[in-house]
Amino acid sequence: MRMVLLTLAVLAGLGLTGAAAVVGFGLYNVSAHAGHWPGVSWVLHTTFRSAVKLRAPSMEEVPPLDDPDLIALGAGHYATACAMCHGAPGQPRSATIRAMVPEPPEIAEAVKDWQPNELHWIVQNGVKMSGMPGWPVTDRPDEVWSVVAWLMTVQGGTPSPVPQATYGEGYCRTCHGTVAGPVPRLDILGSDYIADQLAAYRSGLRPSGIMAQAMSMVPEDQDAELSAALSTRGAGDEPSGSGMADSRGSDLAAKGSRDVPACVACHGADASKGPRLAGQNEAYIADQLHLWRDGVLDHNKLMAAAAVELTDQEISDLAAYFSGR
Amino acid sequence: MLGGAVVLWLVVNGAFYYMSSVRPGAVDKRYARHILIGGGIILPVFVLTALLVWGLSILPDPRRPGDGLVVRVTGEQWWWRVEYWPEGADTPVVSANEIRLPVGQRTEIHLTSDKVIHSFWIPALGGKMDMFPGRDTMISLLPERAGTYRGQCAEFCGASHAWMAFAAVALEPAEFDAWLEAEAADAVAPQDEAAQRGQEVFLNEGCGACHAVRGTPAVGLVGPDLSHVGSRKTLGAGRSSMTLQNLEAWIAHTEDLKPEVKMPSYDLTGTDLADLAHYLNGLK
Repeated sequence: MRMVLLTLAVLAGLGLTGAAAVVGFGLYNVSAHAGHWPGVSWVLHTTFRSAVKLRAPSMEEVPPLDDPDLIALGAGHYATACAMCHGAPGQPRSATIRAMVPEPPEIAEAVKDWQPNELHWIVQNGVKMSGMPGWPVTDRPDEVWSVVAWLMTVQGGTPSPVPQATYGEGYCRTCHGTVAGPVPRLDILGSDYIADQLAAYRSGLRPSGIMAQAMSMVPEDQDAELSAALSTRGAGDEPSGSGMADSRGSDLAAKGSRDVPACVACHGADASKGPRLAGQNEAYIADQLHLWRDGVLDHNKLMAAAAVELTDQEISDLAAYFSGR
Repeated sequence: MLGGAVVLWLVVNGAFYYMSSVRPGAVDKRYARHILIGGGIILPVFVLTALLVWGLSILPDPRRPGDGLVVRVTGEQWWWRVEYWPEGADTPVVSANEIRLPVGQRTEIHLTSDKVIHSFWIPALGGKMDMFPGRDTMISLLPERAGTYRGQCAEFCGASHAWMAFAAVALEPAEFDAWLEAEAADAVAPQDEAAQRGQEVFLNEGCGACHAVRGTPAVGLVGPDLSHVGSRKTLGAGRSSMTLQNLEAWIAHTEDLKPEVKMPSYDLTGTDLADLAHYLNGLK
């Protein structure tokens, strides 16, 4: 018995020494040219596939992905955040990217065989040790569906076009003013408000993976100029829609309830406290109200307190009312 | 009350002094038996029976129908939503955080609650009555003397339960009627320049989203109606007395003064804060 233990201890000591030599003296060749030993790639890839299938959200959590605005937003984000490694329709991967180990698959190849819920998990979480990054913020899984929506068009064989790279104001306008739905209109907002939001996206105070990526593409000293250019408050002040004077939303917005403060006290035509909502895109208002209600957004304590008791129905009523004004 | 306590104290201590110092030692057996039967059986039976009869006779009082006025009180976290429904009224007179009652008249207080159980209690005027979400309870009160009494939530209802109080003010009937008429009216317009500026601060800061000041664009229903807030005895549902200084402290430090309250502390200072407090204090 003593002999056995002694042998095991000596073997363990030799093993540790060997491991220390590999780590400390550089015995393992990390060269990308050297590639992996046979079988290692298969083990890593199979582990990746199994881990995604185990952890992906349920298919029931997948929202409708055929909304053209959602697809367009996803395409815009893909163009600036993902295309450099995975390429895009008509935009091949560079030779350098193709030399990565593991090589990032071309996008049509990457998305085949995956369900939308699994793609969501991959885009949200990224893949450790492969170079695939996770979403820039952790608490906005809702945003990730836009990219999944675009990926599904790729998987379907008719990829929706991806915008060309531009700079400055034109870069912002890739989505704002071009895409409706979940992307806010900026022309109805004040430049001071826009500047505050840009700063909040930069600092992470207002979490958004899409805007965090966008802000990292714009030099900070351009924020003031961009805010002024994107805001044309006053010019488009006329109600854009047909008006929904008698809707449930109008009543709640004007008077509030015992649980919900009156929106117009801060967001009305004469109010200066909050951003203007009349004419804002419906899906954007609804998304933001959900985020405030659920505590994901909390950078303004008044708005956080105002939204906390909203019901899903009230959120859709308010979004319909303000977008229709 | 105090007189009775003094008498009892004197009797008990006097008896003790008599037995221990004036006449120490064993007493006569017959005398002891008289004391035991008289003081231990006969006296309590008479006293407690009298008290029981009296107690049973007043037991139904809090359930007796009122003389016309109904006050509807809703328990909120942590304040009191108050509506006065005079006999035959179609719409209530909306108020908050203070109950005013006419002396010599029995008033029905109808009670309910928003989210958690509270209990309505004005010790000087009657017993407690619980307030339940989704259910109505009633207690009727008959103030006999004019005066200001303290009311208090008597059921633990969250972080600021201890700060959920109110002033109960009993007024002579004529005085009460005049007060109710004033309470029913819209808020007075700002009386001077500072109050005018204070009103602008009030509206610009979005206070009207939660608070109503009748006659202005502020129509919110989430928090207490402030149309006549300056005429109330207390601020923040019994949290402090209604003074300019306390108003400023309340607006700027709400969350410190009343933990977990819905109203956020406002980042106001200097003239803005002073003008706003002045405006609110002027809403008599």
